[in-house]
Amino acid sequence: MREGNWRPRIVAFFCNWCTYTAADLAGVSRLKYAPNARVIRLMCSGRLDPQLVLAAFARGADGVLIGGCHPGDCHYLEGNYKTLRRFRLLRRLLRDLGIEEERLRLEWVSAAEGEKIRQVVTDMVETLRALGPLDLPGQFRQWDQEVETLKAQVVEAERLTPQPA
Amino acid sequence: MIATIEPELATVCQRDTTLETLLQQPEGRRILSCIQCGICAGTCPYGEYMDFPPRRIISMLRRGLMEEVFQSDSMLRCVACYACMTKCPRGIRLSDVLLPLVKEQTLQRAPEMPAELQRSLQNTLRYGNPMGESSRKRANWVTTSPVPVPILAEIRRPVDVLWFVECYTSYYPRGQDNSRAVARLFNALGIDFAILGNEEKCAGDCGQLTWESGLFETLTDYNMEILRKYKFNRLVTGDTHAYNAFRIRYPMYGFNYELEHTTPFLTRHVEQLKPRLKKPLNVTVTYHDACCLGRRAGFYEEGRTLLRAIPGVKLVEMVHNRMNSLCCGGGGGGMWLDTYFKQKGMDRLSERRIKEALATGADVLAISCPYEVYRFEDALKTLPHARPMRVRDVVELLAESLED
Amino acid sequence: MRTPRPDQVRIGFYICHCGTNIAGALDVGEVVNHVAGLPGVALARDYKYLCSDPGQELIQHDIRDHGLNRIVVAACSPLMHERTFRRAVEEAGLNPFYCHMVNIREHDAWVHTDRQEATAKAKALATGAVRRVALHKPLETKKVPIHGEVLVVGGGIAGIHAALILADAGKRVYLVEREPTIGGHMARFDKTFPTLDCAACILTPKMSAVGAHPNITLWTYSEVTQVEGYVGNFNVTVTRKPRYVIEDACTGCLQCIEACIYHDARFPDEFNLGLGKRKPIHLPFPQATPPVVLIDPGTCIEFKTGKCKKTCVEACADRRAIDFQQREETRQIQVGTIIIATGFQTFDPRRIPYYGYGVFPTVYTALEVERLLNAAGPTGGEVILRNGKPPQRVGIVHCVGSRDENTNRYCSRVCCLYSLKLAHLIKEHTGAEVYNFYIDIRTPGKGMEEFYNRVAEEGMHLVRGKVADVYPDPADPANGRLMLQVEDTLMGRILKVPVDMLVLSVGLEPRADTQEVRRKFNLCCGPEGFFLERHPKLAPVSSYAEGVFLAGCCQGPKDIPDTVAQAGAAAAQALALIVRGYTEQEPNTAYVREEDCSGCKSCIPLCPYTAISLAADKQKAFINEALCKGCGVCVAACPSGSIGQNLFEDEQLLSEVEGVLTYA
Repeated sequence: MREGNWRPRIVAFFCNWCTYTAADLAGVSRLKYAPNARVIRLMCSGRLDPQLVLAAFARGADGVLIGGCHPGDCHYLEGNYKTLRRFRLLRRLLRDLGIEEERLRLEWVSAAEGEKIRQVVTDMVETLRALGPLDLPGQFRQWDQEVETLKAQVVEAERLTPQPA
Repeated sequence: MIATIEPELATVCQRDTTLETLLQQPEGRRILSCIQCGICAGTCPYGEYMDFPPRRIISMLRRGLMEEVFQSDSMLRCVACYACMTKCPRGIRLSDVLLPLVKEQTLQRAPEMPAELQRSLQNTLRYGNPMGESSRKRANWVTTSPVPVPILAEIRRPVDVLWFVECYTSYYPRGQDNSRAVARLFNALGIDFAILGNEEKCAGDCGQLTWESGLFETLTDYNMEILRKYKFNRLVTGDTHAYNAFRIRYPMYGFNYELEHTTPFLTRHVEQLKPRLKKPLNVTVTYHDACCLGRRAGFYEEGRTLLRAIPGVKLVEMVHNRMNSLCCGGGGGGMWLDTYFKQKGMDRLSERRIKEALATGADVLAISCPYEVYRFEDALKTLPHARPMRVRDVVELLAESLED
Repeated sequence: MRTPRPDQVRIGFYICHCGTNIAGALDVGEVVNHVAGLPGVALARDYKYLCSDPGQELIQHDIRDHGLNRIVVAACSPLMHERTFRRAVEEAGLNPFYCHMVNIREHDAWVHTDRQEATAKAKALATGAVRRVALHKPLETKKVPIHGEVLVVGGGIAGIHAALILADAGKRVYLVEREPTIGGHMARFDKTFPTLDCAACILTPKMSAVGAHPNITLWTYSEVTQVEGYVGNFNVTVTRKPRYVIEDACTGCLQCIEACIYHDARFPDEFNLGLGKRKPIHLPFPQATPPVVLIDPGTCIEFKTGKCKKTCVEACADRRAIDFQQREETRQIQVGTIIIATGFQTFDPRRIPYYGYGVFPTVYTALEVERLLNAAGPTGGEVILRNGKPPQRVGIVHCVGSRDENTNRYCSRVCCLYSLKLAHLIKEHTGAEVYNFYIDIRTPGKGMEEFYNRVAEEGMHLVRGKVADVYPDPADPANGRLMLQVEDTLMGRILKVPVDMLVLSVGLEPRADTQEVRRKFNLCCGPEGFFLERHPKLAPVSSYAEGVFLAGCCQGPKDIPDTVAQAGAAAAQALALIVRGYTEQEPNTAYVREEDCSGCKSCIPLCPYTAISLAADKQKAFINEALCKGCGVCVAACPSGSIGQNLFEDEQLLSEVEGVLTYA
């Protein structure tokens, strides 16, 4: 990865009712913020399967942002509480995998908080810049290469070692 | 309640801000949102004496006509009372940045600086106090204290509270009363404290409120270096102006100690203090909100809480109280501009305030800023009044009620 | 034209310029070139305004001419035009859910300044959509029948007007009002700008019409306590507070009030904002609707001691309307649509201590002055101060609690005009010198500027400056006169204006319980706290909850003409739903792939709508589609991955994730 013009990539999962609408409001209000977040709309943050978060990291995201309604405000009554539980578990899992916890962020943003979208995205980009690239795909490639090299070495070693009679 | 100005220290502005760069900063851009409502000029205690009250300064700034403003002495008449800034409906930080910057330019262009002010600023630079007293006598008052006052350089150990005494409370007799009272209260509460003694120099709030940057930075650099020598948990000062300087401008120079003014500090300990306050004072008291403690920092109820803790104190309010308090006229260099203001035919703000205090029928005017004792006691001398009135710092009243 | 095989994905990609809104901020052509090279894309185009008729027709023609079977539209937010494009696609013979939108306006062009970055983002988002849409399935929309009944919450002029329109159209309306009478703020006003017709003269006939309308069920002194269900079928619980008077038995003769053991009215009268007095048994005001008295248990002797002679009961005689045992009651109703018209509250000027409200007795709010001016008010229409004297000099301060970062940032819109009206009326009643202190005079609307002109010509003092300080006249503190300190900004001079009466033109605020109401009805609030409309221009009376509409000041400050217009619009929107008889719902429901389900039941307690059960025979989860609202919580939780969600399938989301991450 070219360090020089590296830009953090964020996959943002926003709920349809609050956070996605807030991002729309930020647009209507012409607030300016960092262009690094790609928003994927879900009906509720509670739809977010932890596998999607891991998939995002595995496919090259440097950070994942989850946006839901404030506690007590969920359009589907309590989907956001479920998100919160999953988020906590996910963060622990990430830590165990050696991925910095700050790469996963959960924010409650109501439909009125366009300004908060601006702050959160900009702030998260700064955090990620400080952390540097995660680049799991690159790592995967490197591991694959290492395994390949190892394999070749084993084959080579086996070839050279005289077989026991 | 209406908002007090939030204490986001870091966001006040950059230390090297000038009038040219001000509008490029997010806080400065608020100036562009001014709606010219004039509440700043209307609330300014000397607004009627200014050719360019804050509202007009903003409109001149936006039109690029500041030279005209600098030629006028309007900003010399600003006493940095924060009234305009507190009421501004657009949250423009007038008294924090804009007005001091204008004041600096005004002073630089003034054909001659008012002598009294010039002398004080020079003294502060030379001796570390505006009176021109010897810096070696700064801690002399300690010998008159009824309780021991440890000095950091002598005790050579970390302390919980570094008590920054400041100038008026070190040198002037009525200020020393204040210091002795604080020492007794700290002692009664069992606070682990010490002072800087002769090493201390003026914190320089007068410099910061005039944005007299050269002077201010000399003092800041000096004090920061001294502070770095010692270990302490928090810095407590009874001088609201020192408190203001530490709160607003020192952070731009790396100050990040925990900071408290004695009034809120003692309020935190009020339950501990109460059982020791045995002597009833049997007086009616009215409380004057100091600008830097009230409007600038939002501590309105703390002084009153302390007064209510004293047995035999009846609290009455002046017409202008809390966020609408009237300035004593001592801020922003006003302490040394009395003669100048008089020459210009301006009334003294301390007298305006004393009239209100007298109208309450109170026996005591309680204060929480060491400038005020001089200003109000002076004003009482010049204003005829039937009932006697005493001016006392809240800490003095507390100490008076304290059992020995 | 050869027909493509049905399993062959042929995607048409369209990017909208939106004039210069999008095309000005990013390189539309570059996005087209990028997408054209993606697998499955048969066609990529840009167009100036895709939402226009020719824009839609372009897509429709392409579907036919090029055999497209998936459409991606990169334009504004899907919340804005998703329906438009789905309909267009459907008209061209394609399943509407083969169309997907990419938000490159609100989420890209409008919020980024770097053209290159914005273009890169658009490419990434478009790639995600192209990948996703390839996996879309044809879906059917669900039709939900709409109940014909309407609930109107709030009985001010907005609620009254909306209720009457719907009732006149033959629909059953439940009008629920918290206070003992309908009429709201308008019932308290004296005259109304700019025509100066009396508020009561234009309002009370409408109030009576509500009371008498056979299609309106009017519940005053009542509150909506619970709302369940969705558009078309809301189950609403209304709690009716006891007024200790049986509504059907009371004839409104008021003999009980006359007979009350208290000879004099001595308790602060809520309707007159405490400026007048009432008895424990009272009618808020003469034209109250319904004309039913109520007893305040807080002041009634019978409630306090149980030993009253109950002269009121005697006076009521065989009508037997008074019932000290009355209890709170709840009513359940089913309605299809709801109109929220809960109104506003006036700003409490104690929050600006330097204006001295609550400290100096000669400081009034504008609403209090309305009551003083009103012939039916506590002073019989005489403007007299609390000391019994008429004022000779009156100051009116505009923008109290408006246009101020310390209180409310927004302009309350009505204060300039009502201040001018009060100035006129006070002068008319008392001959006093009246000063208006304003920042800017704002008088948009029909006849408003003319009204301003008229009042100015009457000799009003108009001072441009925000009053900075209010204190008793130091020259004579005992006479109650106040000094107003203000800069006349046009003259550049500080004025000290003595007045006998200070009127604060307080702004309009969201009601204190707005958040509670918001939760109850699943609404959203804007940053200033008023209920948020779905679109400020194109859906100004729709809320974010389907089937719930907004009318009047609960949505933002407005004057009576605008309130009535909005109430009419809200009624029309409710009516449109009722007349059609059904509403379409997104087919984004969840379903179980039985072959994978292990019957572990972990999804069952998660569903907020109890839509999931265990089919006893098969021991598999079963989702009742009619109850499912499509949140997808169960989908994310299923340990075996056996629950899918239409429109939000795992593989669709996964390919979207992959897509948005493929940019350089």
